[in-house]
Amino acid sequence: MTAAQAGVTARGIRRSFGPVHAVQGIDLDVPLGQVTALVGPNGAGKTTAMLVLATLLVPDAGEVRVAGFDPITQAGEVRARMGWAPDVFGMYDTLTCREYLETMAAAYRIPTGQRTDRARHLLELARLPDKAEQPVHSLSRGQKQRLGLVRALVHDPAVLLLDEPASGLDPRSRVELRDLLRRLAGEGRAVLVSSHILSDLEEVADRVVFVDGGRTVGQHAIGDMPQARTARTYRLRGLDPAALQAELEKRGVGWATAGHAGIDVQVLGGEESAARLLAELVAADVRVTAFAPVGGSLEATYLDLVEGQR
Amino acid sequence: MNGILTVARLEFRLRIRAGRWRWLVGAWFLVLLGVTLLVRSAADQENLVGDLEEQRTLGAAMFGVVMLVVLALALLVTPALAAQSVNGDRERGTLATLQVTRLSAAEIALGKLLASWGTALVFLGVTLPLALWCYLEGGLSVLRIAGVYLVTALLLGIVCAISLALSTLLARTTTSAVLAYLTVFALTVGTLVTFGLVTASVQTEATVRNDGYGGSYEITVPRPDKTWFLLAPNPFAVLADSAPAAPVRTIELPNGDTIEEPLSVDVLGSMSRELHRIRAAPRYHDTEYGTQFAVPDGVTGGPVWPLGLGVNLLLAAGAIWVTIVRLRTPTRKLARGQRIA
Ligand SMILES: Nc1ncnc2c1ncn2[C@@H]1O[C@H](COP(=O)(O)OP(=O)(O)O)[C@@H](O)[C@H]1O
Ligand SMILES: [Mg+2]
Repeated sequence: MTAAQAGVTARGIRRSFGPVHAVQGIDLDVPLGQVTALVGPNGAGKTTAMLVLATLLVPDAGEVRVAGFDPITQAGEVRARMGWAPDVFGMYDTLTCREYLETMAAAYRIPTGQRTDRARHLLELARLPDKAEQPVHSLSRGQKQRLGLVRALVHDPAVLLLDEPASGLDPRSRVELRDLLRRLAGEGRAVLVSSHILSDLEEVADRVVFVDGGRTVGQHAIGDMPQARTARTYRLRGLDPAALQAELEKRGVGWATAGHAGIDVQVLGGEESAARLLAELVAADVRVTAFAPVGGSLEATYLDLVEGQR
Repeated sequence: MNGILTVARLEFRLRIRAGRWRWLVGAWFLVLLGVTLLVRSAADQENLVGDLEEQRTLGAAMFGVVMLVVLALALLVTPALAAQSVNGDRERGTLATLQVTRLSAAEIALGKLLASWGTALVFLGVTLPLALWCYLEGGLSVLRIAGVYLVTALLLGIVCAISLALSTLLARTTTSAVLAYLTVFALTVGTLVTFGLVTASVQTEATVRNDGYGGSYEITVPRPDKTWFLLAPNPFAVLADSAPAAPVRTIELPNGDTIEEPLSVDVLGSMSRELHRIRAAPRYHDTEYGTQFAVPDGVTGGPVWPLGLGVNLLLAAGAIWVTIVRLRTPTRKLARGQRIA
């Protein structure tokens, strides 16, 4: 990847807070025009790594380029081209949404005449145009989250760093967030999204960076993710649950009821054995209505990687 | 410059909308109006003012007391305006989102200073009608009023700057607020107590000769002229001593000459004269009774306020510098347990 194509490149970021080694070697590439997911359990160092990229924190070590500039020595250049949305949006409660965005536009040195237009455009993007004159504190958590997200877009940045943008969003807003992220990437921006809600990322991300214990443990294009090696849970439903359970027991497959949702089965050996089990059930005349992995493949790979580290 | 105004406007807006702002300013004005009324009726008493001639100088007596009260109350209000500015924003998570914009650390720092100082000046500004009242009562020059207001404004700005710096140094808003109040306490009561104690222990032995009794003996003399600088940073000392041209009254002597005499009821003037007196060094001089070691009559030292205001301004400059450094990002050091976002 050449520098021109890379929104973010990071090599060997390390950062400790006193005795806590928050980040101990994160490598990261965020190409322009793509959505890159930063995935890892709580405390993996995602937020810390993003703070380094966002020109807020000096790393103890590491090579970082954001939009072609060094966030430590050329913070101003980076800030002009990078938008960052923290995981907790601090908002000024008494400002209205429009005032809030206009203030941010001013802080990004957008000329006075353009601020109102910019704020209106962003409010539409956040689906909050009717909230323009409402105080920020009257917004719901999800609406605040959306406002915080478009705030990061005030200055039309080439690189977008979003820390857990999906948390607090209702299903509809999640779908919209996905579409928005795709659109932003489609406009040629480099988008880095951290999340632990993996099913959301699976459908939007082009690439995934797995981190655990402060280290990058894998970077993959979403198309060629390694297959899971450990057991995976599949959820089954049949027209006749009793018959389904009997067939499973006959095959010695352990199952557990998931109530009305169906029956959960642990499948070892990846998609190959899952497909075989389904074929056998169908061949045995069990009328199966649902057969699907619980959690996406991203989750499986992720759990796999995390397990592998232990 | 625009960045400073952006931050200041934002902060000012937040302040005005949060809390019972109008009530606070209204209560503040009413309290000071009450004080002014009380001072006026006290100063109006015959035994204080003496004769009708002096009635026209009633304003000077009122103004001095009122301004000391204004400064005292303002010193109580001002730390609250800035002492939670930065760490409060950190707690709410609003600081980092400002820091990643193109605002520089200096713009954020000065914008916040401007906003808190501006708020303090609003409180000071609403007392102007009271100053006008004093002026109308007579005995005051516009220059004196302007000078006193200017110095009060500066002193409040200095307190704002120090409080702001404390809010960047400490993670918890309560700690920084308490320290800001302690700083004001140190500047006001602390300087006074230190001056008193140090002066009491710095004494000189001197031999004086008393011709009347035909002998000489040793005395110990306190030397405030060596410790006066401890008192200089006191905001009240600075205010009293820096006030331009204390009001005087003109007295006509029986022989037709007139002399000008400082008003005894002008508190600021009396404080100022007292401050000048403590700067004067005692010395041996001959009197009709013998050789004395004391400050001769009519000798006074120089003014105290240039040093006092200078020290305070240096403190403020240092505080502003600290604030800017602590707001600079990317950050290398974090206070313990402090998160950026
Ligand atoms: N300012 C800080 N001071 C001390 N420890 C911190 C600080 N910031 C983060 N940490 C620690 O560093 C680790 C990584 O944190 P973080 O980057 O927030 O993880 P994530 O965002 O992946 O959940 C955690 O163990 C966290 O407690
Ligand atoms: Mg996090």
